[in-house]
Amino acid sequence: MEVIRIQHILVYYLTNTVSMIKINNLNFGYSKHKPLFKNMNMQLSNGHIYGLLGKNGAGKSSLLKNLAGLVYAQSGTLDVMGFNPVKRQPALLEQICFIPEEFYLPSVKIDSYVKANAPFYKNFNHTYFSQLLKEFDIPASNKLVNMSYGQKKKFIIAFGLATQAKLVIMDEPTNGLDIPSKAQFRKIMASVLTDDRCIIISTHQVRDLDNLIDTVIMLDEHDVALKASVDEITQKLTFKKVKELDESIIYAEASLSGYNAVMPNYHNEDSKLDMELLFNAILAEKIKFKPLFN
Amino acid sequence: MNNTFNINRFGLLLKRQWLDFGKIYLGTLVVLIGIIIGFYSYFIPSIHSNNITDYDGNLDMRFRYGLFLFLGFLFISIIASNYFNLLGQKSRAILELMTPASVFEKFLSGIFYTAIISLFSYLLIFYLTDLAFVKYLNSNIDAFKGINPKVTEAQSISHQLFNDKNYLEYCGYFFASPFLITSIFLLGSVYFNRFHYIKTAISVMIFSGITAYIIFKAADILTSDMVRVNHGNYRNNGDSALLLILLITTALTLIFWAIAYIRLKEKEV
Repeated sequence: MEVIRIQHILVYYLTNTVSMIKINNLNFGYSKHKPLFKNMNMQLSNGHIYGLLGKNGAGKSSLLKNLAGLVYAQSGTLDVMGFNPVKRQPALLEQICFIPEEFYLPSVKIDSYVKANAPFYKNFNHTYFSQLLKEFDIPASNKLVNMSYGQKKKFIIAFGLATQAKLVIMDEPTNGLDIPSKAQFRKIMASVLTDDRCIIISTHQVRDLDNLIDTVIMLDEHDVALKASVDEITQKLTFKKVKELDESIIYAEASLSGYNAVMPNYHNEDSKLDMELLFNAILAEKIKFKPLFN
Repeated sequence: MNNTFNINRFGLLLKRQWLDFGKIYLGTLVVLIGIIIGFYSYFIPSIHSNNITDYDGNLDMRFRYGLFLFLGFLFISIIASNYFNLLGQKSRAILELMTPASVFEKFLSGIFYTAIISLFSYLLIFYLTDLAFVKYLNSNIDAFKGINPKVTEAQSISHQLFNDKNYLEYCGYFFASPFLITSIFLLGSVYFNRFHYIKTAISVMIFSGITAYIIFKAADILTSDMVRVNHGNYRNNGDSALLLILLITTALTLIFWAIAYIRLKEKEV
């Protein structure tokens, strides 16, 4: 029995926790004099929802484009599911669902769009697609061009998820969605995560990712400033409201009833990750956080 | 599944591209038909005009050769220039590049629509319109005979081409020319992000001008201070010049297609 259990564990780790994306010494920039990434290294695994955060111009969208093979790196290697994304091979493309911030949809009916595009994806699930449309409240007979921006966004999210792609890349997916749609989006995204899927969501609206992501990736100054799971962050840091500041506090922001503070979690306290606070804290006190997450 | 070319995937891609390209294409076809009918209606011989015959005594349809060439150039160049223009728009380019088909298949579908379909449909539309007008004129030949009793029936443009062996052979040497035009404008549609047609046309004019200048200057330098020696038995073979035109236009077409493929492969968003 013990041998079988160990075998199961081995199989799980060998098949389920293999890095889906390997970034080695990636150097990228839109001009040689202004690098966006300098020797970036990172590995992303399946079975996770990554939240990609960073201030404007930090390179969130550019990193996603690098992963999708839409731009060329100056040097370094990128491995996505064993493929080099810049080769744009169909076998990889059918496993990537890329939802860009700015998107285009042709002036056709939903049905025609699906008929023309779905056959490219071997695992496209028509039933699931119809379910998603229903959940997002989009009439299937609609002409794409007549839909609002939010509806269009929900449509491409539904189509992308129905492709059953293993790598889901979303750039600011909640932009343009109303409040009920954002809640629907969170619910749907939480339900689509499977062991063989890797989901990367980039956003500057950190509150939209609350309770959704399991790992935070923060970009700053040409590199990854932080890559840690939510569990790891709340294990090492505690987020709480304090009346007064003391030396143990790494970063604090004034609030109506005192301060919202981030401090090392010396006493293994349970606290809820405040993503916005963490984001500001990392940007302001990167050096203080570095030893905690290395 | 092959990552470079798969016939099923290529078929799917052609179908998918039609979704976007088809509307522009069909719209352009309607305009084309309108222009051809307009020109024919205005220029075909009328019983009210004095000159109704050409040099051979047929009903005068000579206007159609210029129209065929000029309109053909415009139509195939516009279609080719439009094909990849969506890559100039970030949002459309992402959708295009992320479609699970190889770059080679995307490029081939470009050639299929711009070089094959556009040319074939142009020839077909021009032929049918011409044939309709020729039939109409010939059905009224008696009215024209009232003006000029020697007038003979008009022939369709294809009849003239295929029934004259010399003419057909001569045209054969220009077989690659329409493909050259489409290859240049297809490259322009990948290379430029905006104003593809104008920029391609200007680039062609500049390069042609520079090439012509270099050839002229080179010939001038190479033959300066020389006199022409006329060998008695030397016979200038005109066909070699025509053959050269065929070979050069074919080679240039292939080169422009190759560059367009590389540019498509390297396209970034």
